[in-house]
Amino acid sequence: MAERDPGVTPIPRNLQFRVGLLIGATLLLGAAMLIYVLYARGVFEPTQRVILVADNVEGVSIGMDLSFSGFPIGRVHRISLADDGRARIEIVVPTRDARWLRASSIFTLERGIVGPARIRAYTGNLQDPPLPDGAERPVLRGDTSEEIPRMVAMLRGVLENVEQMTSAEGSLQVSLENLRVMSERLAGPGGVLSGVLGGDDQAKKVRMAIDRANALFESMSGVTRKLEGVIDRTDRRLYGENGIADGTQRAVAQINAILEEVRANLKRVDGILRDAQEVSGNAKSASSDLRALRAEVDASLRKVSAVLDEINRKWPFKRDTEIRLP
Amino acid sequence: MNAAALAWLRAWLGVVRLAFVLVAAATSASSYSARLRTTALKQFYFTAAQVLLPFALFSALPRLIITTITIQTAREYGLGTFALELVFRVLVLEMLPLLTALFVALRSGSAIGTEVALMRVSGELDDMQAADIDPVEREFLPRVLASAISVFSLTVISVSIAVLAAYFSMYGFSPWGFSEFTRSVGLVFNPPQLAGFALKTLIFGVAVAVIPIAAGLGATRELKSAPVAVLGGMVRLFFALGLIELASLAVEYV
Repeated sequence: MAERDPGVTPIPRNLQFRVGLLIGATLLLGAAMLIYVLYARGVFEPTQRVILVADNVEGVSIGMDLSFSGFPIGRVHRISLADDGRARIEIVVPTRDARWLRASSIFTLERGIVGPARIRAYTGNLQDPPLPDGAERPVLRGDTSEEIPRMVAMLRGVLENVEQMTSAEGSLQVSLENLRVMSERLAGPGGVLSGVLGGDDQAKKVRMAIDRANALFESMSGVTRKLEGVIDRTDRRLYGENGIADGTQRAVAQINAILEEVRANLKRVDGILRDAQEVSGNAKSASSDLRALRAEVDASLRKVSAVLDEINRKWPFKRDTEIRLP
Repeated sequence: MNAAALAWLRAWLGVVRLAFVLVAAATSASSYSARLRTTALKQFYFTAAQVLLPFALFSALPRLIITTITIQTAREYGLGTFALELVFRVLVLEMLPLLTALFVALRSGSAIGTEVALMRVSGELDDMQAADIDPVEREFLPRVLASAISVFSLTVISVSIAVLAAYFSMYGFSPWGFSEFTRSVGLVFNPPQLAGFALKTLIFGVAVAVIPIAAGLGATRELKSAPVAVLGGMVRLFFALGLIELASLAVEYV
């Protein structure tokens, strides 16, 4: 000790002060830490309770957080098994954080792969009435580790499908190959047509067909023009000056004149026949008159027949007559 | 082999007997004389006050580094929220008291053991007994009390530094980590944990003095026996600290 070896360890004159300072500092620090810890544990804060009822509280531990929007707002205070066999999780929420919990809030209990379970609160409508102290709410469970085997099985199927699709003879490869050929054709001389029709030859044929159709249209429009001319002329021929209709009219007038002449001739025949009856005794002179009359009637009839022939030739609606277009 | 086991057993029995005697002395009001206070003050000064600054540095720098490594690694694994808890549980609650106890054991425990052994060698203890002075009350109790207070004091200081260091490692100089930090503190430091922590620190402090004293008492009048006694005492102290730590861990987590 110091009194035996003062040269090595001199005792300072203000020993008591120094020691007192250190002990005082220690006590102060210790007290500050204690108060801080008590503050951190929410001893100085008013709290309220929420009781969550779950089928299974595996993974829940005392001191676990209740989080809302990722922020811890409460802490598991007690876990107990109720008489009906359901687990009760008692959560203490500081009153200032309890405003996030409303009557319509939903609570979930999720178990991740890493880390402890998590209890989360979701509040859809913050205008709802606040959750009363000591309210009991059911908790929804979601267990990642239970989902994993199912997910892996599904994923395997998906991966197998992907593998099949992407293998060398897979449909995806074939499709891609087709697409490549198509795009090559599109870029080739045939352009889009050969791409659509599957080859240059077909494209050429289509182009030729179109060319022919164009030529056809050209000639058809020529034909149409000619037809128009024909119809025009026919029109003129039929109804124009000196047309068929005109001629027919004139022929009818002629016929009327000829029929007039025939009637006059027949009247004369009537008179001659009356004369003949009157002069039945003088047959010799009468017969020479008759011969001259007959020649006159014959001439009239021939004229009528010639007019009818003329009409028949000019009239276009006779069955066998052909109209010859120029 | 048998003799060694017997000696080992006897040494531990000596420790236990001394511990009981000391507890008896500490609980009797007549022990707390002015002389005890003076000796305890000196002992406390040499154990804690004199080395406070180097100890604070020893405490702060490595902890800052270890805390930073722990937090960054935890963040890399996406476990950033657990980093603080990890730091508090491993570093603050377990490692710091043990390291502080080891520090005090190396600095003062060995000195106390040597001192007692030399008292034995020089016959000072026999003289005291002849003069009807109880060496337990006069020499041992003040040292034990002083080392217990020293370990407690240094632990509180280093824990405070470590908690501050943890905050700055985690959040830098931003004040906005305070609520999350407070939450972690509240999560880790629950009342049983704190009580266990205080008790463990106290036991460390007592062990750091009692075991070397018991070892020193095992020396004979021969000078050569002193190093052997001190060495045995330090080894026993090392094991004892380890056992106390293990026991406290077992109580807390098993």
